Amino acid sequence: MQYLLFLIKGSLEDFRRNKGRTILTSLGILIGVSSVVLLMSFGLGLKKYIENQFESLGTNLVRIVPGRILSGGGFRSGPGAFGGIRFDEKDVASLKRIKEAEYIIPVFTKTITASSGKNSNIADLYASSADIFLGINLKTKYGAAFTKDDVEKRSKVAVVGPKIAAKLYDQEVKALDKIIKVQDQSFRIIGVLEAKGGGFGGPDLDSFVYLPYKTAFSLNPDKKFMVIIAKARTKVDLEVFRNDIKKQLLKRYKEDDFSVIQQAELLSAISSIFSIINTVLVAIAAISLLVGGIGIMNIMYVTVTERIKEIGIRRAIGATRKDILFQFLAEAVFLSLIGGLLGLTVSFLIVLLVQRVFPAYINLQTVAIALGVSSLIGIIFGVFPAKKAADLSPIEAIRYE
Amino acid sequence: MIKLSNVFKEYKLDGEIFAAVKNINLSINKGEFIAILGPSGSGKSTLMHLIGLLDNPTRGTICVEGKDVSKLSDSQLSLLRNEFVGFVFQQFNLINKLTVLENILLPTIYSKQKFSASPEERAFSLMERFGIKEKATSYPNKLSGGQQQRVAITRALINNPKVILADEPTGNLDTKTGDKILTLLTELNREDKITVILVTHEADVAVRAKRKIQIRDGEIVKS
Repeated sequence: MQYLLFLIKGSLEDFRRNKGRTILTSLGILIGVSSVVLLMSFGLGLKKYIENQFESLGTNLVRIVPGRILSGGGFRSGPGAFGGIRFDEKDVASLKRIKEAEYIIPVFTKTITASSGKNSNIADLYASSADIFLGINLKTKYGAAFTKDDVEKRSKVAVVGPKIAAKLYDQEVKALDKIIKVQDQSFRIIGVLEAKGGGFGGPDLDSFVYLPYKTAFSLNPDKKFMVIIAKARTKVDLEVFRNDIKKQLLKRYKEDDFSVIQQAELLSAISSIFSIINTVLVAIAAISLLVGGIGIMNIMYVTVTERIKEIGIRRAIGATRKDILFQFLAEAVFLSLIGGLLGLTVSFLIVLLVQRVFPAYINLQTVAIALGVSSLIGIIFGVFPAKKAADLSPIEAIRYE
Repeated sequence: MIKLSNVFKEYKLDGEIFAAVKNINLSINKGEFIAILGPSGSGKSTLMHLIGLLDNPTRGTICVEGKDVSKLSDSQLSLLRNEFVGFVFQQFNLINKLTVLENILLPTIYSKQKFSASPEERAFSLMERFGIKEKATSYPNKLSGGQQQRVAITRALINNPKVILADEPTGNLDTKTGDKILTLLTELNREDKITVILVTHEADVAVRAKRKIQIRDGEIVKS
């Protein structure tokens, strides 16, 4: 313990004596560690974001979209994006006959201008059945969602996302019972939804205006749907469910006319691609750590040469080879650790700034990796200079001027 | 206590073998005050390094307290240097970036010995004895040569060695200061019963020793 204290004290003393050199040498490690930590924290943020998206999409869901596609584009399967066909109420009815189906939810979307009379804003219309709220986990914060009755009676009611509510009526709660104008048609707002997040490239569910789909036929004269969301009963194999849906639709359409996509699957694929890209980036950033390590090795060789006489004196009064080895190794590790700690501090500050726009974060594992790697760099690049010092002949070292 | 038998130290210089010391047979007993006397280049420093376990002979054996040192590992040899021998050099060989006290304590860091008094207590009592107590926090390069040599002697004594090896301890000092240092070494031998081996080229320095060994061209010519 006292020996360790002595090593630490000795190293710090030498750093104090060579301040400029110490700072420049640790700068290499600082840059390396902060780039690795930052990239890791961005990777973590991205993963968290994708996981949130997962949740917001709901489980046990498949989406039926027109055309032959390999990857989906979220909810915005606007006209012309896929094949020529549009689903209609007949398809909804036929899909409802599948016994594994819990909900079959038709969706019509359209970009609209929504107005409160005072404010107006571009928003997305999302016309669907009453099951949509349960199907994709939308909860009302104020008021209530529209019901099957509202759909059948074509009630002129609307449910709005919290963002559009706040934009049009200043406060979410004030939107309740107000009239919202969509393309000059008036609807009464009966519910405001809880915030759901998203909107970073994906669908921003919080800015949607939800209408009963039959009510919305006034805005959708063809009575067609862009997407049908199908939710399987619990414990149903989604693959089987997909095949049943395909069979049912093939009675009416050709194979290439539609696709049944599993959004969750897609997201996990995207997520794994991102994590591979992130790993590659971290590996590239790690090269700068290597460069920093070479800097440490270089300066340690200089230090050893400068202190040959001191090494000789220490050997003469009883330091073993190991003592000398540890002395210089400790110095290299401290040098590297100082860089690592400073690098962590810098990355913490940057992540704090970035968090305003992106959910990047640093976890304990990242901190441990950063400190572990910088100690390791110190050991790897310090061992050769330290060995050189330890292997000096005591007699030649003490005579060195 | 220390026994050298047929000891040679040879170097290869330009393909020719050159012996710094040859055929040394020497026995040093406990409590002796020995001077190794010889002109510069006679091999007396090499002999001191061999006795001090800083160097290995190319031939012959050196035994310290009955142990053949060529059979010892680096850490065993280092421990002997640490606890058995104390060095005093002509150049003082203090570490200038450490304070006087830190220099004196340096051997205790590498020591495994247990003393009743703490290293600091031992250091202060020795510093008091040699009159350098008030210099404890000074740096060696701020001290006079005589003071530096006394710091070096204190450092040599901190681990209670059996032998003090002094290589031209007065070489960098004026006569008066040198005399004081020699008196100090004599005292250590007489009162503390420490074996003192004094290496010098000056006959009047060697006068203090009870036994003189003259060395010339690497060989003992008179003992």
